[in-house]
Amino acid sequence: MLNKFAGLLQNENMKIYRRGSFKVMIAILIGLVLLVGMILRFNTPQPSTTATTHWKQQLQAQINQDKKQLPSLKADKQVYETFKKNIAINQYRIKHNLKPSSSETLWQFVMAVAGNMITIIGVFTVIVVATSIASEFDSGTIKLLLIRPIYRTEILLSKYVSALLFTVLSLIVLFVASWIVGGICFGFDSASEAHLVYSNGVVHQTSWTLAVWQTYLLDCVSLVMTVTAAGLIAAVFRNGGLAIGLSIFMMMAGPIAVQLLSRFDWVKYILFANTDLTQYTNGVPLRSEMTLGFSIAVLAVYYSVFVLVGWVFFTRRDIKA
Amino acid sequence: MSNNTTTDPAVRLEHVTKKIGRKTIIDDLSFEINRGEVFGFLGPNGAGKTTTIRMIVGLMRMTKGNIYIQGHSIRGAFKEAIRQVGAIVENPEMYKFLTGYQNLVHYARMVSGVDKERIDEVVKRVHLENSIHDKVKKYSLGMRQRLGVAQALLHRPAVLILDEPTNGLDPQGIHDLRHYLHQLSREEHVAVVVSSHLLSEMQLMCDRIGILQKGKLVGVETVNTFVNEGGQTVRLTVDDCAFAAKVIKDKLSLEAVLADDDTLEMTLEKEKIPVIIDTLVLSKVKIYAVVAVKKSLEQRFLEVTGGKSVE
Ligand SMILES: Nc1ncnc2c1ncn2[C@@H]1O[C@H](COP(=O)(O)OP(=O)(O)OP(=O)(O)O)[C@@H](O)[C@H]1O
Ligand SMILES: [Mg+2]
Repeated sequence: MLNKFAGLLQNENMKIYRRGSFKVMIAILIGLVLLVGMILRFNTPQPSTTATTHWKQQLQAQINQDKKQLPSLKADKQVYETFKKNIAINQYRIKHNLKPSSSETLWQFVMAVAGNMITIIGVFTVIVVATSIASEFDSGTIKLLLIRPIYRTEILLSKYVSALLFTVLSLIVLFVASWIVGGICFGFDSASEAHLVYSNGVVHQTSWTLAVWQTYLLDCVSLVMTVTAAGLIAAVFRNGGLAIGLSIFMMMAGPIAVQLLSRFDWVKYILFANTDLTQYTNGVPLRSEMTLGFSIAVLAVYYSVFVLVGWVFFTRRDIKA
Repeated sequence: MSNNTTTDPAVRLEHVTKKIGRKTIIDDLSFEINRGEVFGFLGPNGAGKTTTIRMIVGLMRMTKGNIYIQGHSIRGAFKEAIRQVGAIVENPEMYKFLTGYQNLVHYARMVSGVDKERIDEVVKRVHLENSIHDKVKKYSLGMRQRLGVAQALLHRPAVLILDEPTNGLDPQGIHDLRHYLHQLSREEHVAVVVSSHLLSEMQLMCDRIGILQKGKLVGVETVNTFVNEGGQTVRLTVDDCAFAAKVIKDKLSLEAVLADDDTLEMTLEKEKIPVIIDTLVLSKVKIYAVVAVKKSLEQRFLEVTGGKSVE
């Protein structure tokens, strides 16, 4: 059983990776990381020597200045918290002898490109999943695919899982490419930089790798929802172009629409009001009554509906292609 | 392959009906196809041949009725039923960006018991050894048809269903296929189901044919009965046609028409042929040749379906 499913995954992977478009996608991914790296490299001022020698005095001056300003900032809670965080982190640096970098570093670069590159990976995965489902109908290969001793549910699942494996592969490529480009542009010596996290008034030192993958994971919430929607549209309409166009449009326009509509209380039930979970960790939620639990529940409902509708259409409808 | 081979027919249709919207596309089809025979589906365009095949392989649901493959219902026991089937439905569409070999590996992974040797064996059978590692997009129609047959044979099915298999094949390819289908049915007891517009082809290829018209089964018959029903046509080459025709008319009350300068043609029951020869000989007519004209399936088909054009 599991053996058979591994075979199905191998088949779907073969169909993804043997298409010419796969190489183009990976090339674009690496090319963009390289391009952004170059642009940042040549627009960042080089560190000055005084900054390297007297950094503790400079940090202390910064702390004193921030502390003086603090009482006057109580009105805006977010700004107030940011200042408190900066003070705590700077104090931690002086105490543990952790020099702040005066320019872009390898890890900061890896983190900086994550968001936009994952949007692009999302677009690619949408193309992969829509092609994987709809092209079988377009080309007529669906007939030979479905007359095997395998349930349609298993075929659909293998297509969905292989598309998500493509996302994982792309994330690994992104991580490795941005790490290498970051190193080339900003120096591999900054790879050992400490990652400082401030939470509940305490500063911790954590791993950058972990932090980057946490960011990847959070960014993938929106990606997975969009890809699932694309699979649903492809299964229902059996049309790849429609699935790609509609789901990418939703992914791009959704968050903007939600911002514009944020004064209505029903906006919180819209998918795109809930895909950005970072609104609960560093920022203000779209609407004050929204919580992390609420968003997860809304996401779960949308996800289940997408999967159920896509599954029903894929497994129940006649194949006339 | 199955324990039921001896008791159950390879394919059994029971009151199969398909409606799309209000239109009845297939109307109450019931018949059986046995192992070891080549069964042909015959019918004009839009008769419902492809639709029937789609229902047999589970691509379409039936509105009413049931289909059993080696005793397993395609509705209730899909995996058990479909495991016994290899098929091409309409055109043999394969993944164009993969090689022929990769396509076969793809389908081999979806069933159990197909190893590398089996793939090579099937490739040899359809004579694709030289191009199996080329991308399918470079294949000609006939090569794709061969690859289609190869994927249908991979798992040694008990039922082989080919929708218009000769489409795109050259004469040699058609000959090879016909020979191979015969061999499969005779030696490996495969039930072979074909549909084709090439009626003369069907005549050579099939043991029995089922005629579909507007979704209804007009008849299931062996090719021989089918062709010969409605009388045998004979041609007589004689010295004096006019006299011979007169003798036949006067003594036997049968009509003979002039087919050639020295040849008469008539259609009659087989048993009458020696009677005519006796009568002519007694009347001193010199007979140079008696030829039984095999009526083509096409003529017969047009008779049965009411003279509607086929192509
Ligand atoms: N999706 C559909 N909706 C309505 N009617 C359909 C649909 N698909 C097929 N039909 C009808 O079903 C009938 C049977 O079609 P089918 O393709 O089975 O015929 P066929 O015998 O294979 O013809 P051909 O010789 O052209 O291959 C046709 O009259 C066609 O109009
Ligand atoms: Mg057809």
